[in-house]
Amino acid sequence: MGASLPPKEANLFKLIVKSYETKQYKKGLKAADAILKKFPDHGETLSMKGLTLNCMDRKSEAYELVRQGLKNDLKSHVCWHVYGLLYRSDREYREAIKCYRNALKIDPDNIEILRDLSLLQAQMRDLTGFVETRQQLLTLKSNHRMNWIGFAVAHHLNSNASKAIEILEAYEGTLEDDYPPENERCEHGEMLLYKISLLEECGFFQKALEELQKKELKIVDKLAYKEQEVSLLVKLAHLEEGEKLYRKLLSMNPDNYRYYEGLQKCVGLYSENGHYSLDEIDQLDALYRTLGQQYKWSSAVKRIPLDFLQGDKFQEAANNYIRPLLTKGIPSLFSDLSSLYNQPGKADILEQIILEIESSIKTTSQYPGGMEKEPPSTLMWTLFLLAQHYDRRGQYEIALSKINEAIDHTPTVIDLYSVKSRILKHAGDLVAAAAFADEARCMDLADRYVNSECVKRMLQADQVALAEKTAVLFTKDGDQHNNLHDMQCMWYELAGAESYFRQGNLGMALKKFLSVEKHYADITEDQFDFHSYCLRKMTLHTYVEMLKFQDQLHSHAYFHKAAAGAIRCYIELHDSPPKLTTEEDNDLSKLLPSQKKKMRQKQRKAEARAKKEAEEKNEESSAGGISKSGKRHAKPVDPDPCGEKLLQVEDPLLEATKYLKLLQKNSPDSLETHFLSFELYMRKQRILLAFQAVKQLLRLDAEHPDSHRCLIKFFNKVGSMIAPVTDSEKLIWSVLEAERQTISQLHGKSLFETNNSFLEKHEDSLTHRAAFGETLYILDPNRRSEAVKLIEGSPNNIVPTNGVLGPIREWKLIDCVAVHKLLGTVLVDQDAALRWKVRCAELFPYSTYFEGSRSSASPNSAFNQIRKSSENGSSNHSVGDHNAESGTSNGKLEAFKDLTI
Amino acid sequence: MEGSDEGVERVVDSKDLQQQSKAFDKLTDRVEDRQLDSSRVQEAMASIAASSEADWQAMRKREKELAAVKINAADVDIIANELELDKKVAERTLREHKGDAVAAIRHLLR
Repeated sequence: MGASLPPKEANLFKLIVKSYETKQYKKGLKAADAILKKFPDHGETLSMKGLTLNCMDRKSEAYELVRQGLKNDLKSHVCWHVYGLLYRSDREYREAIKCYRNALKIDPDNIEILRDLSLLQAQMRDLTGFVETRQQLLTLKSNHRMNWIGFAVAHHLNSNASKAIEILEAYEGTLEDDYPPENERCEHGEMLLYKISLLEECGFFQKALEELQKKELKIVDKLAYKEQEVSLLVKLAHLEEGEKLYRKLLSMNPDNYRYYEGLQKCVGLYSENGHYSLDEIDQLDALYRTLGQQYKWSSAVKRIPLDFLQGDKFQEAANNYIRPLLTKGIPSLFSDLSSLYNQPGKADILEQIILEIESSIKTTSQYPGGMEKEPPSTLMWTLFLLAQHYDRRGQYEIALSKINEAIDHTPTVIDLYSVKSRILKHAGDLVAAAAFADEARCMDLADRYVNSECVKRMLQADQVALAEKTAVLFTKDGDQHNNLHDMQCMWYELAGAESYFRQGNLGMALKKFLSVEKHYADITEDQFDFHSYCLRKMTLHTYVEMLKFQDQLHSHAYFHKAAAGAIRCYIELHDSPPKLTTEEDNDLSKLLPSQKKKMRQKQRKAEARAKKEAEEKNEESSAGGISKSGKRHAKPVDPDPCGEKLLQVEDPLLEATKYLKLLQKNSPDSLETHFLSFELYMRKQRILLAFQAVKQLLRLDAEHPDSHRCLIKFFNKVGSMIAPVTDSEKLIWSVLEAERQTISQLHGKSLFETNNSFLEKHEDSLTHRAAFGETLYILDPNRRSEAVKLIEGSPNNIVPTNGVLGPIREWKLIDCVAVHKLLGTVLVDQDAALRWKVRCAELFPYSTYFEGSRSSASPNSAFNQIRKSSENGSSNHSVGDHNAESGTSNGKLEAFKDLTI
Repeated sequence: MEGSDEGVERVVDSKDLQQQSKAFDKLTDRVEDRQLDSSRVQEAMASIAASSEADWQAMRKREKELAAVKINAADVDIIANELELDKKVAERTLREHKGDAVAAIRHLLR
């Protein structure tokens, strides 16, 4: 220590440290104050007091004291160490590492500092440094178990698994032969499994198998033992033994699909792409029949054959599968079958099967060829299944007629209303979908699942206030915003953000998208405490899996949605900055001085009122923290409750770039990532980066309409640039000249020719025609009418099918909506947009966007007619009124009872 | 001085939450390391041989080669600016491509 203390005070200092380590902060504070009475400038005591205060949420005081302490004693490793711990608690890891390194310069072999440094290196994935630090710790304290384990794991993470094995074996050499004692059997068993997985990872399968079998008695986790053993047997091609072991695993858990897959591999009947020859199908069928006899209660053994069987065999097996489940009334049957719809021909067979069942039950109350009477509910579940079937196939009218028939049959089944809601959503009537989801919710007010589904539908219909009120029914203390945010309820925040975005409220949209991003940042930080915890508990395999999961964390779909949404908001902010300030300035400049004064006074009053309201709102949310015990739990006040500050960002594109880089790193196989990259970098005038985005789009899907759009836009812009003048421009030009040779779409062609060959390849596709029309207009604005004509002339072919009930056409609602927006805002042809709308209103009669005749947006629709009559003939009621009512009433079944097709 | 920044007393109003909070707090409790038998440890340490010398030499040679490459400082600035990269990254890539700015950029656009 730089300034040593007398024995009494030195003991008090030790007490501070011990109190900190054991989280007895008040005791530590008392001891620190006692020392400071006599030695008020003692650096290390000031630092430790600061650190203790930091753990008591007195952060600003903490920094002040720690900095003061360090200033007073710059050569104390304790002061530097404490400063690092303070930075660490604020997640300033780089600064913390600097402090630790300074501390180590003063005391190079300090175990505590080295350990803290290693934690930060693991967190930051500085794996080389991590290995060095763990090695130093092992050298200094080689009789500590954790140091051996830490060193081995460090090498594994640093891509040196064989070295890790060597270290673990050396560690095992230090143990007694009768190790482990009873209270450490689990830890030791986990370590052994980890070592064996390292051997497997290095390809030493035989050695791994021998080691596994030798250590069987010491491994406590028997399931992991068996699974590891069977994995090694398969890799060593010991297929007979593998088969036996898979059968044993199946007897333990006959619903684990991976065991069936493994068994198929061992008997030589597994195909990665799911394609099998006729002979193989027969063998598989026989295998599963045998297994079916053994595991009568397993649903997996009955369901898996539906994946590989074809034709008549499929029909028979599907029939046998479906009937018992309809009789039992399993609502999730369609979800179970839905993956089969991706295979050619099976949807038609399923349709035929279910229609036959429906017809037979209606006429005889029996299944086709059946001998027993079916209960009345079987018809309802059959109709339920058919409704979902036709919904999946895009035949919404038929789907709605089936679900309505089911509701007429048994109006008290909640699932029927949920499915009706989903059908209406797919058909384009989001308002009616929300209404029926609310109906389902009101039938079981204690089920949060239907509550959440209802909230989501309301958000999809842009009924944000109503959704918030509904969500509050299940949040703690009725504090909806804070509770759902605190519990990291990302689906809610994403749906809300997208709703605000559609409504043009960029501030709230950004706020919610960034909330989701913050959750991912928190999840990243959550791993920190486990770097030491898992080494102690020896759950090494799971720890390494967790680290790999964390490395891929931002690949998750929710993060992608949030980041993409945030980027779109920032691009919108850049393209259309908020005009409030400039408009006000213009208004003010036209006024007389006295009027200016009045205007400013009004403005200040309005601002004061808004500020007061915001403060009251925050106060209320803070007050909510008072618990039953009477203690006040102060919550941090939200500094920007409506997202207004987010709108004031100085450089929106710079903010967007931060999230774009995360998408580029974590979602490189998503077209959307590179599409947004293109839009962003074109605006930033980063020609080379925009080009990189185009290259990525072409790599992923050169024929995608968006890839084509970006390709044409980019080279059209480059072609319109003046000849390069600066060194920078010349260099860019040289790169583009070289790269252009690698793009096959452009070989020896003008952009017009490239565009034309794109159209020739895809002239039957609406989305590709729309892309062509847009790019044609970009290349030559005078050819707008030609572009419009080509889009309007898109064919809407009937999809080939054996369906007996009506045709399915190719055009999808979402694509038609996109074309309508294109005609109205890009090509700016309002007549064409109107013609398109009328046309699509016929194709999608339930779409509120196109005001289809059966949608809740149409004044003549049954929906609104019923509302008028149910309101006792009063007029001038908007859809909004209905929405407000449904939030407070106990359902509006009557309003939809007579909804006709 | 490994410690926790989560030890502040928390207000909870249900037993489940209390137990959750306690269990989570236990994560960062101070625990003594397990000790191993000293004589066996000495033997084990001897078997861990340093093999990093060769790696270090190879890396040093590589760095020397790169440092000898002549590059245009203006090219570094252009690459760093246009591709929004750290200057060190831009410089290293340029050196790896022997100062050829076009080749370096094409590599970075991969």
